[in-house]
Amino acid sequence: MRVSIPAVAVWGRIAPSHSITAIMITDDQQTIVTGSQEGQICLWDLSSELKISSKEILFGHTASVTCLAKAREFEKQPYVVSATENGEMCVWNVTSGLCIENTKLPYRHTAIYYYHCSFRMTGEGWLLCFGEYQDVLIIDAKTLGVLHTLSSQSSDWINCMCIVHSARIQEDSLVAVSVTGVLKAWDLSSSLTSIQERQNVCEKESKSLGCTNCRAVRFCTYTERLLLVVSSICWQVYDYCDFSLLCTEFCKSGQCFAGGEVLAAYRLIIWTEDGYSYIYQLLNSGLSKSIYPADGKVLKETVYPHLLCFTDVKENKSFPFVMGFMNERKEPFYKILFSGEASGRITLWHVPDVPASTFDGSPQEIPISTTWTLQDNFNKAHSMAEGIIDHLCDSKDGIENAVVTSSVYIPSLDKLVCGCENGEIFITPGLETARARLLENVSLKGNLPHKVLNGHSSRVTCLLYPHGNSVRFDPSWLLSGGQDSTVICWDIFTGKILHRFSLQSGPVTELLRSPENCKLQYHSVVCCVCSDHSVAVLHLQKKVCLLHARKHLFPVKKIKFDPMEGLLIVGCEDDSVYVWEIETGTLERHETGEIAKAILSSIGDSEYLVVDSLHPVSQESKRNKNVQYKSSSSYKRGMISYNLTQTEKSSDKVMDNSLIQQPFTVLPVKPKWNNANFHVLLFDLEKLVDLLLSYQPCGLKSSNSFHNYDTLERAKSTTEKRALTLKRNKTAGFTLSVDGQVDTVYANQVNRDSNTIRPLEESGGIKRQKKMKSSRKTKMQPSGNIDVNITTDTAKLLLSCLLPWGVDKEIDDLCVGQLDILRLQCPVAFGLVSNERHLSLMLPGWKCTDGGVLEEHTLSNLFSKRVLDLSNKYLAATEGRTGERDGTVDNVYGTKGAEIIFFLLSRIVLINRVFNMPSADTSQIESLQQPESVHNKWQNMEAAISSFPSFYGELPRNKSRRHSSDFGNASLLKLICCWSDQSIKIIEAMQAVLLAEVQRTMTTLRKTAVCREPLATVENGNVSVLKHDKSSNSANFQDVEDAPDRCVLEESESPDDMKAHPWISKVCSCKVC
Amino acid sequence: MAAAMVSSAERAVLEEEFKWLLQEEVHAVLKQLQDILKEASHRFALPVGGSEGAAKQESFVLSVAGMDQVKGVLTLQGDALCQAIQDARNHVNQAIYLLMNRDVNYHFKTGSEVLKLMDAVMLQLSRARNRLTTPATLTLPEIASSGLTKMFSPALPPDILVNFYINLNKLCLTLYQLHVLQPSTTKNFKPAGGSILHNPGAMFEFGNQRYEVSHVHKMECVVPWLNDALVFFTVSLQLCQQLKDKISVFSSYWNYKPH
Repeated sequence: MRVSIPAVAVWGRIAPSHSITAIMITDDQQTIVTGSQEGQICLWDLSSELKISSKEILFGHTASVTCLAKAREFEKQPYVVSATENGEMCVWNVTSGLCIENTKLPYRHTAIYYYHCSFRMTGEGWLLCFGEYQDVLIIDAKTLGVLHTLSSQSSDWINCMCIVHSARIQEDSLVAVSVTGVLKAWDLSSSLTSIQERQNVCEKESKSLGCTNCRAVRFCTYTERLLLVVSSICWQVYDYCDFSLLCTEFCKSGQCFAGGEVLAAYRLIIWTEDGYSYIYQLLNSGLSKSIYPADGKVLKETVYPHLLCFTDVKENKSFPFVMGFMNERKEPFYKILFSGEASGRITLWHVPDVPASTFDGSPQEIPISTTWTLQDNFNKAHSMAEGIIDHLCDSKDGIENAVVTSSVYIPSLDKLVCGCENGEIFITPGLETARARLLENVSLKGNLPHKVLNGHSSRVTCLLYPHGNSVRFDPSWLLSGGQDSTVICWDIFTGKILHRFSLQSGPVTELLRSPENCKLQYHSVVCCVCSDHSVAVLHLQKKVCLLHARKHLFPVKKIKFDPMEGLLIVGCEDDSVYVWEIETGTLERHETGEIAKAILSSIGDSEYLVVDSLHPVSQESKRNKNVQYKSSSSYKRGMISYNLTQTEKSSDKVMDNSLIQQPFTVLPVKPKWNNANFHVLLFDLEKLVDLLLSYQPCGLKSSNSFHNYDTLERAKSTTEKRALTLKRNKTAGFTLSVDGQVDTVYANQVNRDSNTIRPLEESGGIKRQKKMKSSRKTKMQPSGNIDVNITTDTAKLLLSCLLPWGVDKEIDDLCVGQLDILRLQCPVAFGLVSNERHLSLMLPGWKCTDGGVLEEHTLSNLFSKRVLDLSNKYLAATEGRTGERDGTVDNVYGTKGAEIIFFLLSRIVLINRVFNMPSADTSQIESLQQPESVHNKWQNMEAAISSFPSFYGELPRNKSRRHSSDFGNASLLKLICCWSDQSIKIIEAMQAVLLAEVQRTMTTLRKTAVCREPLATVENGNVSVLKHDKSSNSANFQDVEDAPDRCVLEESESPDDMKAHPWISKVCSCKVC
Repeated sequence: MAAAMVSSAERAVLEEEFKWLLQEEVHAVLKQLQDILKEASHRFALPVGGSEGAAKQESFVLSVAGMDQVKGVLTLQGDALCQAIQDARNHVNQAIYLLMNRDVNYHFKTGSEVLKLMDAVMLQLSRARNRLTTPATLTLPEIASSGLTKMFSPALPPDILVNFYINLNKLCLTLYQLHVLQPSTTKNFKPAGGSILHNPGAMFEFGNQRYEVSHVHKMECVVPWLNDALVFFTVSLQLCQQLKDKISVFSSYWNYKPH
């Protein structure tokens, strides 16, 4: 099963830099997709008036994106494939923002073309790729596995390619031009079978064109005769039948052609590297004569180009431009020329259907239709683009500078440390800061407790809290490095400067902790990388700089600190290695080439301090896998670091367990090219529900018991799983009071302010089970500051972010008044961490998505119009069956807001679960109707969901009618599964369900103001009620027509009840009574 | 360096210097880079025009170090001897193309623009260098099915495998003598993995037949122009990095320059 964590992005005023390297418009002309040098994919909405608005940014690649292409027939599935400099490929669903498939191959693609031949092909089609390898590679569009290669006589890299569909000869061919200027043509449709059988497929024709640097080759489908070849110095038109040259046009000096497309018969558009484009008419006076191939050369004068129109980008120029042309003949689509720049600017031109020159025959300029950048969206939606602590430290420079230049979150203290442009460092409580930033309540902002550390004279470039992962360090130490080349060691509690290291080596770029197995003398040592590529070894306890290694010519890629031998091994980006002796400060060895490789490869991955000059290796940041994920993937570029992927893989397992130890985490993200630091708030849903369960006082005791017996069941079957949940709780330092069996652990509580030693393995957790046994009784818990309030505040904050504010005033009032969920200050940028390596975040422009759902000034947090439909569907789907449920619902809703919050939350968790089920399971649910196979499938599904307490956690409210609730859940699950197949976003589903449930709550509240008593019986006599349930259930079964659900229910319930008895009594004794 | 500490006069001077760096120095370095890389690219002699007769011929005499038992004479038609050289050549040409696009007329406005260009160029250059310094590790079946073994005319005897590769400045020719492993053999069949050079005793399966390497002959000869090319790559990489470092010194000013 996948794991996904809802996230909320808190952007700053500066948009993250997005240097466009690839751009495409989807077939429906509603989305622009761009890929960047930083490795992100950005989705932009394109309105029917050609207005652009940023929608979503997708993290997942670790290197610069080289190309984008559609990966399916777009009407069926809105999938786009991206490829990167280091061989990664991802298929994205551009509607939901999810990564569908990903892989890493040893090929770097320059371009990809989707090919599907519906009547002769099985599967989802092929991706025809070329790039920095010989010939053409065929990749399966679904699995991303390599199917075959198209080979040729003189194999070389391919520079450009096009697929030729000819209706006349009923044959698809592939025409490609190699780097040496050899044009090659392969039969596609007639070689389908030989490709599928992996037989050798050679080119059908090959001809040297005598031009290098070909940028594009295009076939004219209107005439089915002309072939356009664009090279950097000229463009040429050939006769496709005999490859005779019809005309050549050279470019102006100082310009380079970059690509071209056929607009219509005898009409071409050619664009340049510097953002110009030209539309030519081919005057075809003598074309008929060129049928005679032998005379081809003589007749090349017979076709000549006439310049009709041109486009220009005017100012804002920045190299290089990536341009494309979308030629749609169907209404209401446009012919669009589009370009993306390194500065992140997108420009669109609407090319008229019949371009014409001016009356005097001189070329006419086609005006720019739209031009847009990410920053435009950030400026427009400035309330959304407010940094996390912007209200504390207003910068003097206005929006020119990002305020926060580096930050670190300390989970154990729930402290967010932000270093600023002006050298100040702010320390604030994490959750409070997030609430103050997101929620409407003004008093939160004013009362935010914070501490300011003054010490740096200019920008704070990096921060490190060494105690976070390693108990060797004093818990009060906080390190900061600055532009002023100093490293300051602070006391985080008092704010005093303990020591200031002046390095005089340019801005400090990175601070790293020394490895675990150190000799005592190197115990409190950190390494510091400066921008002049020097490495300083600082001893915090002794307050001295042990070594400052300054000889490195290239940026530092890897550092190994060998405390046993007293050596510092530094690997640089040019693959050279420097070995320093720490004691004497001398350079022991400097190696390049093979020896350097050998030295570097002899060092285990885990021993590295740095993977590249920017980011710490995963082992160092096990604390939170997302930190590692982010740092490695989002802003690193241009490194084909095998090591990196290795560590990523190896640490994946680790990540799973130590996912997030608290329900709420702040994840700071630092981009590479600018200072647009932003923060991502992560909510661990399951954790949150677990904690809420444990805190419910009397009101939800019933749910407690339910949760518990579920855990017990799991505990019996899989101790492993149980240990996991348990472990998570423990590491986070929360008191989990649910589980009777672990009472001993929680007995030894620790005084709150001692930052108790938390052994490292606890956060590592690879062999968590063993450790659980050994550590259960001995280990202390830093329980300190965690209490019920934090958990409920977290839950409320999440609900605040999810609720569709502004849709219905009554609902809003209910939430604020009854549930004490605060209104949002501005719409939030939601996001989702999925599969541990992909992150999608909404951008401030997402509000404009649906063409302004509401007026400017009213706050609206509706994710899309679709949410309303979904919500109604949901109501319809659940209402009919559980009409009589209202009675029980009342009880719960009437009692306490906290319970409603809990209920709403558990719904969200349920959706999260269903969306994350493997698609195989989802498809099974669809076939749930077949009675004979249902049993197993349902159980399968049940297994997926029941391993998860909160699913049951929400049941108790209809305890007396469990049957109907399960029944409702079945249809609910089907509905949600259905949604997840329809590329509906998980947050859309969450919001729709929230809306529906709140609406329902409201109606029931209106109906019955007084709450009835039945809940009390549930509380007091768990056992008896359960028995009663059983009987009532079986009675109810008579009424049910749907056989499959019933038998499943019987199957799953009866053993549960049996198990429940002894255990519940246990809980009763320790918890309730 | 520290923007906040310097006086306004100092700051003006620094900005002037940065402007000079972007407008003058960067172009000078780019020109120098282009010259070096063009020189390197000439070594790879791209056969422009592709008129078959005009392709240059080159002969290499390969020998086993210190011995005279086996000698190889290679005559090259064109340069497409092995993929490594082809790839290196293409990488260099891509780097040149990147540089060509920003000639003297191009006006660099921000430091990060230069850094991005340098990153792209360095990526191509380090790939070009790596292609020459790191020979591909191939498995024996891969060698057997590669074009190298097949291109001989008359065809090689079936018990001979040939592999060419470039290792730094050396052209290496490896000749594997094979013997067929009978199905009845008591030997423990264990297929060998990928390697640059396989040792006698390595076993593999190809075309439903099992083989064992009985003898290995390795011949090599120094190709002087490869050495030149490697030197050019290293020098250019250093130039790129130095330019990046110069730009980085002014990093605090990036934010003041509009994109």
